[in-house]
Amino acid sequence: MQQLADIEETLSLFTEGIAGKYLHIKASDEFVSRLGLTLDLLGSGQTQDTIFLPNELNAPSSASYRFLVMEQIGQRECGTFQFRFEQALDRIEALRAIYTPPRDLTPRTGDYYLLFGCFPKPSLASEIFFLLEKARVIGHLLRRYPGLKRHIEVYFEHVGRDSYPTQDPLENAKNHLQGNDCDPQWAPLYKAMDELKQGEKTVYDCAHRLCDVYTLVESHFVSSDSLAFEEEGEQLGDWLNREQRLEEWEEDMEKVESALFSFDQFEGDEVEAELSENAGGSVREEDLDIKSLEESKDQLKRRIDMERSSIQHAMGPDQSISRSFRYDEWDYTSRSYLRHWCRVFEEPLVAADEEDIDELNQVIRDYRPLVQRQLEQIRPTGLQRVKRVQDGDELDLNAIIEARQDLRAGQSPDERFYSRKERMHRDVCAVFLVDLSASTDDPIEKVEPVPLTEEEKEMIDNLRDPWDAITADQLDEEEPKRKIIDVQREAMVVMASALDALGDSYGIYGFSGYGKDCVELFVAKEPNDKFTTSTLRSIASMSPKRSTRMGPAIRHGVTKLTQSGQAMKILIILSDGFPQDCDYGPERGNHDYGVEDTAKALEEAERKGIETFCITVDRSGHDYLKRMCPNGRYMVIEEMNDLPDQLTKLYTLLTNR
Amino acid sequence: MNSLTLGGQPYYLPLKDEISLFESAYEAKLPILLKGPTGCGKTRFVEHMTWQLYQGKSEIPEVPLVTVSCHEDLTATDMVGRYLLKGDETVWSDGPLTRAVRTGAICYLDEIVEARKDTTVLIHSLTDHRRILPIDKTGELVPAHDEFLLVISYNPGYQSVLKDLKPSTRQRFVSLEFDYPSVELETTIIAHEAQIEADGAERLAVIGERVRNLKQHGFEEGVSTRLLIYAGQLMARDIDPRRAAEAAIISAVSDDKTVQQAVADIVDVILP
Repeated sequence: MQQLADIEETLSLFTEGIAGKYLHIKASDEFVSRLGLTLDLLGSGQTQDTIFLPNELNAPSSASYRFLVMEQIGQRECGTFQFRFEQALDRIEALRAIYTPPRDLTPRTGDYYLLFGCFPKPSLASEIFFLLEKARVIGHLLRRYPGLKRHIEVYFEHVGRDSYPTQDPLENAKNHLQGNDCDPQWAPLYKAMDELKQGEKTVYDCAHRLCDVYTLVESHFVSSDSLAFEEEGEQLGDWLNREQRLEEWEEDMEKVESALFSFDQFEGDEVEAELSENAGGSVREEDLDIKSLEESKDQLKRRIDMERSSIQHAMGPDQSISRSFRYDEWDYTSRSYLRHWCRVFEEPLVAADEEDIDELNQVIRDYRPLVQRQLEQIRPTGLQRVKRVQDGDELDLNAIIEARQDLRAGQSPDERFYSRKERMHRDVCAVFLVDLSASTDDPIEKVEPVPLTEEEKEMIDNLRDPWDAITADQLDEEEPKRKIIDVQREAMVVMASALDALGDSYGIYGFSGYGKDCVELFVAKEPNDKFTTSTLRSIASMSPKRSTRMGPAIRHGVTKLTQSGQAMKILIILSDGFPQDCDYGPERGNHDYGVEDTAKALEEAERKGIETFCITVDRSGHDYLKRMCPNGRYMVIEEMNDLPDQLTKLYTLLTNR
Repeated sequence: MNSLTLGGQPYYLPLKDEISLFESAYEAKLPILLKGPTGCGKTRFVEHMTWQLYQGKSEIPEVPLVTVSCHEDLTATDMVGRYLLKGDETVWSDGPLTRAVRTGAICYLDEIVEARKDTTVLIHSLTDHRRILPIDKTGELVPAHDEFLLVISYNPGYQSVLKDLKPSTRQRFVSLEFDYPSVELETTIIAHEAQIEADGAERLAVIGERVRNLKQHGFEEGVSTRLLIYAGQLMARDIDPRRAAEAAIISAVSDDKTVQQAVADIVDVILP
């Protein structure tokens, strides 16, 4: 039995290499469809940005997982999802003969829905079609990736052991594909598969063969009632095809837009002059064209929007801009790790251009003198001249004199008589994890009712006096309250500008999420990125999101640090409360599970030579932080405004050890 | 530092119009910047062009192509020259750049961003209309020989942003961009260089294409054409293709075990 968790990481890289783009590798139980779409029997299948694989695979080696992945990629390479029914009609006469447009036909009707709808049992047609398509894809894979042959053979042999003699044409066809003995009565079906396996065939050849063999296969299911084919509703294949079609529509949209743009340009200069001459005349042909173009643009746009939302409804949200990773979680109730339990999605913090960064710039200006004073203590002196070296840009005078003395005295001189400048390196990488849970939206200071003095009571009485109305207004008009997230953002910006001056590499990430399968890590800055205004914008766009599952976020931060290759690694977590999430532990109100998992994650980090530190603004944080952070490596900030200052001090302390 | 005397013509398969551009720049005495990833053929291109340009000339400098591979400890002194202690005296010795400037050779500074910042400033006066090399230690201003040409190479997106070329330097050069060739061209190159069958060469080129998709992970560059040729050369000497790929490609691209395994898996499905 092979486990997906064992090879997930390698498999993900393998997939990216072969496919040429990143695809999430997920276990089939992570597949959620609101339309009740299903993966194939094995539990493999794909959506636009994901390849689903079974959690466990009955196979002799992990190479079989690679074959399943290749099968999915093969479908992409073979254009399985570029099937257009119109073209099929053009090419296949047999299809024209049986096609009648369905009553509910709209431009958004799926192409595979139309194809399979031509047959009395659409689900059966679909089964046959994708079986034939499988033969075509395997043929393609064998030609293009000859190394796969051994793995396919081994896997098929292993799977074939469980096969049994049957009458069922589809089962027989599967056996045939796996090179096993089959019932000869379905020979035309096998022949079609073999043909599709040979040479470059298209998806339309496959549709053609479907027309050829359908009646034969159906006869089996018609003759015996007990074998009536169960009709399924929506097909995953059809939706994938629609997804691909959406991309084509988007391309069409771009074309229409560029055509309209060129009309605009044209109109701008000469045509306008021409128009004024012919004023009062009939509508010109160009105008009609523009009008019809604009109409078709609007129509197309509506259709694209509707289709996109239906696709997202059917197959889940588009996650193609993020990458995902799975991490273990510590279950303290059973004192064991839950393997590959949480999925962390890493996505860039996309900042709107107009994001206001003036305030943050002001913060940098305000804090710079203070922070610089702090950091000057650790800043190395840059270039230093090293004397008495074998090779360098200047002669070292003292060494030369000694060498000459030695020569005169008849001794062999020391050859190290140069000096050179050497740069003193700091080999530090820091990762900052900023808690973006919903509670960071709270104001910093909780307003506590203060008993009023006599004097104040008198003032309030005075306020009721209409002559004092202005003062009353002023009282009502409070300044917008500063929130925790504001201070977190400011602290990060101050830190970033300071570290940039220092030359240390550092990454800034926000984390949040909801549930174990959706821990989100938002990248504001990667260690190798330059600190620019777009970094500022990204930090400015950090906003309160959902829950706080700290464990996986820390584990991902640790991965980032280990990858950085720097000698000194520092992980600083900024939070506003204890770790919590909807399924973080057996019961929601109990925070022990989250605290224990976070403690374990921090312990793992320490073991990997990473200096960790937690900073919280939760005044009641002492009790759980003591349990959570190793060796008391935490700090509870009482005054939020101290955060930037404290953070710099802490950094100085951590890196100067 | 190495040099090249005119021997046989170094093999180079043009990807675009780089040959005619280089020739024109040479005629107009414009310095040239070659941008591109490691092992995509920049050095070979310069060797090829040197051979072509000096081919018909009656006077050839003793060392027609001076190549300096820059590294982070390379200083201006290493390029210009230094005082050496010789017996009882200190004598001045020209560095490779000065030698090229005096003799009219092509000076190729490979991976210039790797060198210390003072070296890039040094070439400023050589690369504008002045064409002189000031040597501050001797107080000399060396005017460049008529035939002298400066070629530098650099690798954008490689290493950290701190090692980017300054605009004031970059804007003194005619830039030629290089990238890894397409599968078809790379097949031809591998087949020629490694002397193997087109079929095997194509497999290696496809491996190159796929492994380069992974270049964000643990290795900045992807697998270079040079490495693919190494694998081909091993194959030509009867090493099993899988073993050759393992030695020349898989172990060479990354030290990260996971990445290595993924690359090995890619090689495994592509090789027969």
